[in-house]
Amino acid sequence: MGPVIEARGLTHEYPDGTTALRDVTVAIEAGERVAVIGANGSGKSTLQLVLGGLVEPTAGAVEYFGETADAEAVRDRLGVLLQDPDDYLFNTTVREDIEYGPAQLGMSRRAATQRVAHLAAELGLESLLDRPPFRLSGGEKQRAAVASVLAFEPDVLLLDEPFGAVDAGYRERILELVTDHEGTVVLFTPSVDVVPEVVDRVLVVGQDGSIAADGPVRDVLTDTALLRENGLQPPATVQLFEGILDADDVPLTVSDARAHLLDETR
Amino acid sequence: MTGVVGRSVESITGALRTVFTAEQVASADGFLQRRDPRVSLCSVAGLALAVMLTRTVAVTLCFGVVTVLLARLSAVPLRQLLARSAVVPLVSAVIVVPQAVLLPGDALVRAFGLAVTDGGVAYVVLFTLRVGVGVALLSLIVMTTPFSSVVAAMRELRVPVALVWVVAVTYRYLFLFFDELQRLVLARNSRTTGQSSLRDGWRDAKRLVGTFLLRTLDRGERVGRGMRARGGSRPPSPYSRSRAVDGGDYALVALAVVAVVGSGVIRWGL
Repeated sequence: MGPVIEARGLTHEYPDGTTALRDVTVAIEAGERVAVIGANGSGKSTLQLVLGGLVEPTAGAVEYFGETADAEAVRDRLGVLLQDPDDYLFNTTVREDIEYGPAQLGMSRRAATQRVAHLAAELGLESLLDRPPFRLSGGEKQRAAVASVLAFEPDVLLLDEPFGAVDAGYRERILELVTDHEGTVVLFTPSVDVVPEVVDRVLVVGQDGSIAADGPVRDVLTDTALLRENGLQPPATVQLFEGILDADDVPLTVSDARAHLLDETR
Repeated sequence: MTGVVGRSVESITGALRTVFTAEQVASADGFLQRRDPRVSLCSVAGLALAVMLTRTVAVTLCFGVVTVLLARLSAVPLRQLLARSAVVPLVSAVIVVPQAVLLPGDALVRAFGLAVTDGGVAYVVLFTLRVGVGVALLSLIVMTTPFSSVVAAMRELRVPVALVWVVAVTYRYLFLFFDELQRLVLARNSRTTGQSSLRDGWRDAKRLVGTFLLRTLDRGERVGRGMRARGGSRPPSPYSRSRAVDGGDYALVALAVVAVVGSGVIRWGL
């Protein structure tokens, strides 16, 4: 299978002259789990919008599923979750918002009803379905937005900071839902700690809007100099074991670190 | 932005934001809530048309009574209906009020060389009343039927897609407009101390308007992307909430037909 998204020479400049992306070339293969990390203002969200076909790049092109450059033609296969849930929830009730994508993209009502019920149960939204989104708390809005993008079962998920304001319990639920997703996942986040739990490959967007690194999760997240150079903190576990263990042995997640410490103390 | 202007803007936007959703009313068990959305839409539109055909205050008031009855049967609080429907007739009244002195008739009051005529006053009252009752009827449909059902009913009734699109987008953006305004006012209030004078309040309000327009444009663009991300560039196609037509539906249609025919007969004769 070829890439589901292939971008060549993407450059994007905003009307005020800010260059958000600089000559970005990237291919996302089917079934891949990729994280796009970068400091605030590095251009991650712009890259997500361009890859999702919601912003036209100043230069360069994006091709979807090896067949078209028109994102609208494959909209039902692309799940783009915007960074701010307030931009994503515009209907009068949470239920209408979760149903919006399935209805617009041709899912049967029966399937959509089942999907809404399932996601509402998973994300603790059952009692909120008939409430207007603006009455929800930040975390509830985030969960409703995540449900809205998962509702139409897209092949590719492009998620910009899906864990935003959610509490630890629901963060785990969202992680599980994203991990269980059978298609491709591209996660845009400045929080490197969550990255090893979800992805196999990491792209680092440099502060000049270019791709500063692209490689396996361990190679990138243990390169502390690279991360710091690009305005990022290495994962907490990497910081903890930096200089103590070899890069190949450094635990990337808290559970791995715990297991390592238990082994050491036995 | 504290003071009278700030508090007024805050309370008005808060109230409007709330009445634009009215989710409790839409989910209540009432007469209009039990109707097929297509029937509700056609019948209430028919009643609104009948109101527009009227030329007498008495007949318009009768339609006002029908509207209140429908609201009571549908568990719609009258205060909420009034809050939702009052703005448009008030603005209309301001626009047509010069007709009170421009139209011919017997002078009721004279001042500054102008005469307020009985014909002029009757026109202003009738016009405002008609707009008020018409808007209240249309508000009833939105308050008693989930908005996606209204849009779905319009599509099923083969209303031109462009019109459905305009209605769907306008309604959503109207809600976002007030949401953005309230956020802006709250953000400013959170960083303002002390009571400001009325004059300072107006000065702040002028600054607020500029910022608000820029923020609204920006938010509109971002929400537009949120819609497109989920197929919003395709014609609105929410799930249909049609149901089996029953006696209540026939009664509502009959009421609308009688109203339209009756208004036509009263206006143009047999």
